[in-house]
Amino acid sequence: MAAQALASSAHSEGGYATAFPFFGAERRGAPVLAFTRIDEKRVYRKTQVYEPDYVVVLDESLLDTVNVVEGLKEGGMVLVNSSKQPAEVDVGIDVKMATVDATSVALEVLKQPATNSSILGALSKATGLVSIESIEKGILQVFGDRLGPKIGEKNAKAARVAYDRTLVGESHGKRELKSAEKWLPDVKELPIGVAGVPMSTSAGAVGPGSFVENKTGTWKVFRPEYDTEKCTMCNFCWFYCPEGCIYRKEDHMDFDMDYCKGCGICANECPADAIRMVR
Amino acid sequence: MKLKDLPDEELFTRGHTACAGCGAAIAVRNLMKVLGPNTMVVNPACCLLIFGATYPYLAWKVPFHHVAFENTAACATGMSRAMKVLGKDETLIMGIAGDGGTADIGIQALSGAAERNENMLYVMYDNEAYMNTGIQRSGSTPFGAWTTTTPVGKVKAGKSNFKKDMPLIMMAHNVPYVATASVGHIQDFIRKFEKAKSMKGFRYIQVFTPCPTGWRHDTAKTVEIAKLAVDTGMWTLYESENGKVTISKKPKMTPVAEYLKPQGRFRHMSEEDVKSLQDWVMKKWEADEKYAQCRQ
Amino acid sequence: MVSKICTGNYSAAYGSMRSRVRTVAAYPITPQTFIVEHISEFVNNGEMDCEYIEVESEHSAMSACVSASASGVRTFTATSSQGLALMHEILPIASGMRLPVVMAVVNRAIASPINIWVEHNDIMPERDSGWMQVFCDNNQEVLDMVLQAYRIAEDRRVSLPMTVCLDAFILSHTVEPVDLIEQADADRFVPRYKPTGPILDPDDVNAVGVFTPPDYVMECRWQTDKAMRSAVEVIGEVNAAFAKQFGRDHGGLIDPYMVDDADAVLITMGTASSTAHEVVDDMRAEGKKVGLVKLRFWRPYPMTEMRAIAEKVKAVGVFDRAVSFGVGGPSFIEFKSAVFGIDLPVLNFIGGLGGRDVSLADIRYMYDKLLDAAKTGEVRRDVTWVGTRGVSQ
Ligand SMILES: Cc1ncc(C[n+]2csc(CCOP(=O)(O)OP(=O)(O)O)c2C)c(N)n1
Ligand code: SF4
Ligand code: SF4
Ligand SMILES: [Mg+2]
Repeated sequence: MAAQALASSAHSEGGYATAFPFFGAERRGAPVLAFTRIDEKRVYRKTQVYEPDYVVVLDESLLDTVNVVEGLKEGGMVLVNSSKQPAEVDVGIDVKMATVDATSVALEVLKQPATNSSILGALSKATGLVSIESIEKGILQVFGDRLGPKIGEKNAKAARVAYDRTLVGESHGKRELKSAEKWLPDVKELPIGVAGVPMSTSAGAVGPGSFVENKTGTWKVFRPEYDTEKCTMCNFCWFYCPEGCIYRKEDHMDFDMDYCKGCGICANECPADAIRMVR
Repeated sequence: MKLKDLPDEELFTRGHTACAGCGAAIAVRNLMKVLGPNTMVVNPACCLLIFGATYPYLAWKVPFHHVAFENTAACATGMSRAMKVLGKDETLIMGIAGDGGTADIGIQALSGAAERNENMLYVMYDNEAYMNTGIQRSGSTPFGAWTTTTPVGKVKAGKSNFKKDMPLIMMAHNVPYVATASVGHIQDFIRKFEKAKSMKGFRYIQVFTPCPTGWRHDTAKTVEIAKLAVDTGMWTLYESENGKVTISKKPKMTPVAEYLKPQGRFRHMSEEDVKSLQDWVMKKWEADEKYAQCRQ
Repeated sequence: MVSKICTGNYSAAYGSMRSRVRTVAAYPITPQTFIVEHISEFVNNGEMDCEYIEVESEHSAMSACVSASASGVRTFTATSSQGLALMHEILPIASGMRLPVVMAVVNRAIASPINIWVEHNDIMPERDSGWMQVFCDNNQEVLDMVLQAYRIAEDRRVSLPMTVCLDAFILSHTVEPVDLIEQADADRFVPRYKPTGPILDPDDVNAVGVFTPPDYVMECRWQTDKAMRSAVEVIGEVNAAFAKQFGRDHGGLIDPYMVDDADAVLITMGTASSTAHEVVDDMRAEGKKVGLVKLRFWRPYPMTEMRAIAEKVKAVGVFDRAVSFGVGGPSFIEFKSAVFGIDLPVLNFIGGLGGRDVSLADIRYMYDKLLDAAKTGEVRRDVTWVGTRGVSQ
């Protein structure tokens, strides 16, 4: 929706814009990829973007698994949802960098960690591509249409607050960024009928049970804080956790933050108040 | 089996991509613990297909099969008969589908398989709408609920029909086992899946699985809301074993308003609508109780 | 050898029994109904060791076959027309999963208007479903092709589903002498079933049918395309093996008759081939150089064979018992694409729709037109509707 709202904003300033998500099948909270193209004239190409001018990263933890600057144009800019100063964010290369703590803004204004409106405000500040007024208009239109005018207004406000808090600077890359390797079998290697066969590949295990390769812990905003002392080992959290990332030990529970999505069910259901959610 | 006796091994593994707080995910990982590794699964198009099986990754550690959307019971039939041919009838065949894939588009194949008393367990996880395609109404969506096809508009708001009574429809098929369960009631959940596992022939369990994304509630409240559904009488926990119907838990008859409050999908409902729903709940509970009395 | 008078439907059912099919899921529809009835009888009499599933629809029939096949057993089903249309969604799933399901299709008109008689329009929408499709012109061929279908479909180079097509009533309900292959001979020809790929098995955990992102689909499609191309070779081998064992050579992708020195040939599918055979004999006796190409396999399509024929003769006619509205017959369209660049008159005849009889005179009319075209080398009109009041003479 953020990509669409950006396109709508740019369009309202008289430009031509297209926006599209890459992958429409993930559940809510999963990392997704979306593209926006803005130009003065009509954009004909209907392909993915390989050489962006700007890269917006909504989830800072992705920097560990995705080389977000791949293809970034010379002089391009990266905007990261982070509480850090621009100079503290390392994306592997020297680059113009902007940061905003969009999650905090969203929690304050929307009472939910939905960052896509805040990040648009930040984008306006960082790039000057579109004015904050147009961003507000675009949000009112796209969010308002889908979720109702009240939610539209709140999101527009989040954008404005984020605009005011965005920091723009530069950062120098020190670490080497690498995207996680993908298993891309050719026509000889792919099992017939795309059968899910257990295999260990250079990119890790595939086939039955291989979703353990997918560390969903990056999705979370809040995490459970667990007090062994209070725990009565009732096993409720172990049953209720949708992820199966609470492990039973002899006299305590182990919470696996690599997979925890931070839903808060364990904390909500714990009869002994042994779990609470913290940021 | 007691909660503490459930095995540690996850046959539906972590790393799956369900939304945070997904009720369906709670149901699936735990029912697999009860059913065990000698199970083969067929699953139609629905949220679970995507979050449990996106090539080349799978959360399932048992044989997994997907064919289409409306044919889960027919596919389970094919698998079950094949296992018979191969002398592997001890393997449990489970079809697991959403409410859309069961109560709407899949009801024909389901009814056929039930009538033939095919040897399978059919599980419907009920999140009360087509979530995979973005929260459209289904026959299982409750009265009043907002969905993207029952939007809150200027002249109409929310679903104008009441929830289809699938458990009753399945009981009318006179199959060996029909039960309702909920992710909020652990012991009842475990017991019913254990019972289903121990039986032969056609078995049907409908599990109530709140969906924070589609119901617009706090992700932490999934279990709480599932419990409220039972307490208010919105969801009756009962079972039919070889024709004998037993109520598993009497509702406290908490006002439905309590159930509606934490869910964004009901936020727009007028007092009058809430009352209609409350009346429906009273009548439904009365009917369920009488039905249980008749089928002793 | 037991030669008996029997219908095409019986031949198909008998073929499935002799192929030791272990799961059948089917739903009755005229004119296929007798196939499911015969199989039920075989099963209930203990002659066929098979799970017969009386499903509640064709959609479920194909679904059950797909899942049974994916679980590692040999499966069979049969349908027609509306039933085939109802299965449509599941057909590409069978081929996409590379499952060697075999199905008899008794070709019948597709509604509307509702009509139960022969026409090939029911199967034309399945052209791109990834199923191999063979058209028969006699009841012996129906039986023989069911046996051959399992050998072709289950060949590891292929691993694709296959339909055996027979014309409604003209074969399904017509009796002809058929050599009813005995079990021991059938067993020698059709090997014991071995799954061709990963299957659902509690002792060897795999997944069949997974939601697949763009990273894998092109490669999967290419594999299926390759399998269909490989089928060309396998079909030839299996036909040769069958001819060797049983002494009957039905031909491979095509079965040409009197083509080598012909001026004009007609391409036909299904039972029109049999009728045309007689017309060719008659006209040859009159000194007219006509030939016949019985197009047996619609998929894989005989690309090379058709080009070779086009190089040889002066005019080609394509008879279609189906129509792609506003364009012409599907078989005609396919032929034109196969022979692109070869300059010769190609006439299309559409006829026999909705059970309208295709008579000797109709076929002679086609050959006369073709011989004219062969003489002049000029094409007057591409598509002619034969035996249609008010449009053809
Ligand atoms: C024949 C057919 N029609 C429509 C669809 C699109 N579709 C896929 S999943 C789905 C909804 C699933 O709803 P439900 O069964 O309730 O499962 P949920 O996603 O809610 O868990 C729809 C409509 C389809 N895959 N096949
Ligand atoms: S918050 Fe608790 S219940 Fe939710 S995923 Fe994390 S550990 Fe599991
Ligand atoms: S949309 Fe609902 S059912 Fe689907 S994965 Fe998300 S929470 Fe679960
Ligand atoms: Mg649903």
